[in-house]
Amino acid sequence: MVKQPLEDGVDVTSPDGVLEVMVVTPEATVLKTPAQFVALPLYDGEIGIAPGRAPMIGRLGFGELRLREGDRTVRYYVDGGFVEVSSNFVSVLTSRAIPAEKLDPAVAEELLAAARLKPTGTPELMDLRDRQVTAARAQLRVARRAKAAH
Amino acid sequence: MAKARALDKRRKSIKNIRKITRTMELIATARFKQAMDRAGAATAYTERITALVSDLAESGLELSHPLLQGRETTKNATVLVLSANRGLCGGYNGNVLRAGNERFGELQRSGANVRLEVSGKRGISYFKFRSIPMSESYTHFEDKPRFEEVELLANRYLEAYAAGELDRLDVVYTRFLNVSRQIATVETLLPLASLALSTPEGAKSAKKEPDARGKPSNRRSATYEFLPSAQAILEEVVPASFRLKLFKCFLDAAVSEQIARMVAMKSATENADDIIHHLAMSYNRARQSQITGELLEVMGGVEALKN
Repeated sequence: MVKQPLEDGVDVTSPDGVLEVMVVTPEATVLKTPAQFVALPLYDGEIGIAPGRAPMIGRLGFGELRLREGDRTVRYYVDGGFVEVSSNFVSVLTSRAIPAEKLDPAVAEELLAAARLKPTGTPELMDLRDRQVTAARAQLRVARRAKAAH
Repeated sequence: MAKARALDKRRKSIKNIRKITRTMELIATARFKQAMDRAGAATAYTERITALVSDLAESGLELSHPLLQGRETTKNATVLVLSANRGLCGGYNGNVLRAGNERFGELQRSGANVRLEVSGKRGISYFKFRSIPMSESYTHFEDKPRFEEVELLANRYLEAYAAGELDRLDVVYTRFLNVSRQIATVETLLPLASLALSTPEGAKSAKKEPDARGKPSNRRSATYEFLPSAQAILEEVVPASFRLKLFKCFLDAAVSEQIARMVAMKSATENADDIIHHLAMSYNRARQSQITGELLEVMGGVEALKN
C-alpha cells in the first residue's frame, strides 16, 4: 500500500485504516462517510483522529470539523457537543453542524457584534456572553477559511 | 317540491364539506410522513447519546449531577403545555389541555408557585377562557419544530434551574407510542428522572443500525480515554440530554397532532359519505312520492271531469 500523507505532512496511514465518521444533530444525521482523517475542535484545542486511534470520549468546542477522504477535504462548522471514538468509528454529536461553504463571513460578523453587546451584569450572564462570543468567533474563522479555500 | 329541494341542497353542502375534509386528510397524511421522518432522524442522535451515557456509566463513574437530583421542596414549578395551533384534530387538544389543567391545579394545591407556559393557539385560548394567567405563550412551533428554537427554551429552563428559580418542570404533551396509539402524557423533565432516552416503537424499527461497524460486543469492552475528564463530560451530557428530551417532546407532539388530524378527517370523510348516501336516498323517495302525489291529483281531476 502506498503511504500517503494524510493531513499537512502527518503520515499516519495504518494498513487497514479507514475511519467511519458519523455526524449527528438532534434534527438529522448530517454526515455518514468513510474518511482517512478527521480533525475536530475539542474544548481546548484541535484534535486529529487517524485510523487506529484508542477509544476516547471528548467534549467538543466550537470550530471546524475537517474530514479527509481521498483527495477531498470536507469542512463543517460544529457547535459544541461530544465525540466518541471506538474501533475506527467516530461519532460526533453536536447541536448544529453547518457545511463551511454555507457560512457567510458577513453574517458571522454580525453574530459576533451582537454577542459582544450582550449584557454582562452577573457571572452567569458573563459566561453566557463569553460562550456566544467564542461561538461567533469560531464561526467567523471557519467561514473565512472556507472562503479562502475556494 | 319544497322538501325534496331542501334535501338536495343539504346533500350538495355536505358534498362540499366532504371535499374539504378529504383534502385536509391528505394534507395531514403528507405532513405526518414528514414529521415522522424528522422524528426518525432524531433517533440517531438519541442512540448515540444513550450509548455515550452507558459508556460513561461503565467507566465506573457515579452518575450524579444537580439536574438529576430533586429538590426537597418544590417552590417554583413550571408547567409547559404543548397543544396545536389549529383545531379539527379530534381529541388531540382536548386531551392534552385537560391533562395540563389537572397537573397545574395539583401543583397549585400543593402550595407551589406555578408558572404556566403554553404552546399553540388552541391551548392559549383554552386557558384564556378559563382566565388562568399564562406567563409565556408560543405559537411559532408548527409541525416542524426546530432544534434551535427548542434549545432556546431549554437553555432558559436550565439557567432558571441552576439559579434556583425553578425547582420542577413538567411538560404536558401527546406522546407518540406508535401510529395507532398516542397518549396525552405529563412528564417531569426537571429534575431529570434518568438519562436513558426512550425511543418510540415505530421510530425504533425504522432505524435499526446502532453501530455501523456491527461490533457492539467489541465496543462495550473498550476502555475510553476521556478528554478532559469523565466528570466534565457528564456535566455536559446531562444538559444535552435534557435539551434532547425537550426536543423529543416537541417532535412527538407534532407527529401526534398530524396523526390525530388524519384520523379525525378520515372519519369525517367517511361520515360525510354515509350522510350523502342517506340524503340521496331520502331525496329520491321524496321526489318519487311527490310525482306519485301529482299523478294522483291529475287522475283525480280527470275522473272528476268525466262525471
